[in-house]
Amino acid sequence: MSSSSLDMPRPPPTVRGASAPVPEDRIGEIVDAVIAAAPECVRKRVLLPAIDWALVPPHKVNLLLSSLEQAGLLLPRWLAKPLLLAGHTLSGRAGDALPGALKLLARLNGAAGEPDERDGLAASLKSLTSTPGVDADIAVALVRRLVALSWDDEALRFALAHAHSVPQLLRLAGGVFDQHLASLPLLRLRVSGSSTTRTLVDALGPAFAVEGWRADIAESSFGSALGDLLAPPDDVDALVVLLDVDGLLATDWRHGAPDVGRLAAERADLLGEALQSYASHASVPLLINTLPVPSGPTAGLLDRQHGLGLRRAIDAVNARIVDGAQRSGRVVVVDADQALSALAARDHVDPKLWYYGRIGYSAEATHCLARAFAEAWQIVRRGPVKVLAVDFDNTLWGGIYGDDGVGGLACGEDFPGNAFQALQQECLRLKAQGLLLVALSKNEESALEVFAQHPGMVLKADDFAAHAVNWQPKADNLKRIAEDLNLGLDSILFLDDSPHEREAMRRLAPAVVVPEMPDDPAERPRWLRGLTATWPARLTAEDAARPAVYAARRAAQDLQARSASFGEYLSALEQRLVVRLVDDRTLARTAQMHQRTNQFNLTTLRLGEAEISALADDPKGGLALVGHVTDRFGDHGLVIAATVDIDGGEASIRTFLMSCRVIGREVERAFVGALIEELASRGVARVRGVYVPTAKNAMVRDFYDSCGFSLVGDEGSGTIWSFAIGETAPPRSTYVTTSWEM
Amino acid sequence: MDTYASATELIYPEISEIFADVFQHGGPLTRGTSPDDVPRWDSLQHIALIRALETTFSVRLSMDEMMEIRSVGDIERVLGRHGV
Repeated sequence: MSSSSLDMPRPPPTVRGASAPVPEDRIGEIVDAVIAAAPECVRKRVLLPAIDWALVPPHKVNLLLSSLEQAGLLLPRWLAKPLLLAGHTLSGRAGDALPGALKLLARLNGAAGEPDERDGLAASLKSLTSTPGVDADIAVALVRRLVALSWDDEALRFALAHAHSVPQLLRLAGGVFDQHLASLPLLRLRVSGSSTTRTLVDALGPAFAVEGWRADIAESSFGSALGDLLAPPDDVDALVVLLDVDGLLATDWRHGAPDVGRLAAERADLLGEALQSYASHASVPLLINTLPVPSGPTAGLLDRQHGLGLRRAIDAVNARIVDGAQRSGRVVVVDADQALSALAARDHVDPKLWYYGRIGYSAEATHCLARAFAEAWQIVRRGPVKVLAVDFDNTLWGGIYGDDGVGGLACGEDFPGNAFQALQQECLRLKAQGLLLVALSKNEESALEVFAQHPGMVLKADDFAAHAVNWQPKADNLKRIAEDLNLGLDSILFLDDSPHEREAMRRLAPAVVVPEMPDDPAERPRWLRGLTATWPARLTAEDAARPAVYAARRAAQDLQARSASFGEYLSALEQRLVVRLVDDRTLARTAQMHQRTNQFNLTTLRLGEAEISALADDPKGGLALVGHVTDRFGDHGLVIAATVDIDGGEASIRTFLMSCRVIGREVERAFVGALIEELASRGVARVRGVYVPTAKNAMVRDFYDSCGFSLVGDEGSGTIWSFAIGETAPPRSTYVTTSWEM
Repeated sequence: MDTYASATELIYPEISEIFADVFQHGGPLTRGTSPDDVPRWDSLQHIALIRALETTFSVRLSMDEMMEIRSVGDIERVLGRHGV
């Protein structure tokens, strides 16, 4: 073996001359050539993955990005990741199309640590904090970057949120984590097992910290699980027992067939008796796991039924454990198959660790079990949420009630409505478990009738203990309902398909539990089943009766009063409105919006392409405008449009409509302001607007009033409004940055 | 000049990171560094070391290799054999 020191530099290459090229320069040239050919390399996905971007200077990375942009190529994820992990920043619009975690890393790499940057990134960080399954490399880079910026709180929150899947994050957070840990309530645990428990002990500390506890762990001696069950400790808050297949069911095959089966049964009996004894004597809760499905059978096909079958022995042990839990509420069972379901059975155990140190589970499996123990403790201590507040459109059914009508909503036996129906079944399951259902939808109140009118709805309106179906901010509605039901906001779970609504709720009512729901409706039913916030600690008859008690207290409430901090939410959205004259590129979408929009539509005139282009092509006689909205969460596309007839100094708004995607965010104020300014520049002095009521557009009844128009006529067919340019200032919104693009 | 910078001197610079992480060992590492030089490198922390090597270098080490590793030089040799 060489004795030379690792930190002694290797001699530099000595060859230098015209005849013999220097290897390092050659590589540099090749990298330059690859960057020069970047668009082709991206299309074919070659060469670029081989480059170590930490060794490439930033200006060359910029060169690469701009050549992709010029070629009209988006920066692909497989290239963005190594660039960002190497610490590069992304210039221009290169990072726009990236998924959340990479986009955030791009912004963090470019951040200088200014307070306003910190505020700007807070929301994206927060939503990423509630998104499970962040790529481990990216998570590590994010925490490193946050620590480097001294954004300690953010680093800690993110590390805690993802520590279950990426345990090293807590070490990276370092001192901040230690400080945080010191502030948590103390929990004294004793850990014992059927084999070595040291690796579990190491994993339990962080796992309990994630759930908000500082675990002080005493480890029992090797294999003392049964001993601790028979003589329960009384100087701790809980006993954790880790059972493993090899440790509990090790078999000496010398005994021969009949005895092996009998011995396995005896072991199960012994454990069962120990659990019974614990249930009747112990004063502290026990957290114990079942044995997981084995990676291989000992009786082949007959493993579940024959006395020699390992699976049969495991089933017998598990039956005893479950029996113990049914006898006493102090016995809390962690289902190992559930806890380890993310791993293949063969990865539950790392055989070399077993033979090396009688360690019954692999490192991954140990982390999964530690997490399950900590979550079980939390569920037992805090109990599940008490309220499920749920959105309507695209959550309980597919489609938008206001636009598609009852008949157009997807919910029923057939695809894709069956996924929504399944989610409704999950809501009913939670109701049966004792949760209160609350309807929370931005809709006309008539949306509640959908439950009676649509044949596919398994939920009915009276399943909801309370409802707020209106256009107020959902957080205000929910606070009011929580008061009425006399429940804390922290006992409410909020489900909504819109990232905006989730973000607004997190900001305005931080105590509410707001998980990131999967985008794909097909994933949602099973996702909801796995959501530990809903898991019951115990199921009792009283729980099932609770909804009825609250239903009696239900009262129709007029929910108004906008929260002051709703403005903060709007500012943080960083909304941008780009206004354009309608042209060939936007004509089709503008006409389509005219056909489809029902709710935010002042006149509901279904103008077609020909009528719109007639107005657009005659600057003296008409005007057709569209608006493109983007915000921090993404691009909403063309969502607002208006057409106007111009006659000298008089103009009359023929249509004014907006997609409900951006309702309630002042985009319409900014757009009408831009419209009036454009008309003023064309010499118009007076703008007329009409509101024609329909069954669906009640929400815009007062729109012109709120924009500074005055009422000049009220006919049966609608109201007529007028705006005097020069006398009244055009409406503006401080929450929307407006610009023109020709 | 901005050429592609030359490679670093250590064959596996990640090893010092792993030692800092697993053993809180910040001192210099040589190929001869062994459990005698690293107070926390006991038989149980050895598992954590193996685990860290496996995840960092995306390899699966065998029982023999687990026993073979008794110094930093051994780690280099084993990783080299895996084509890291």
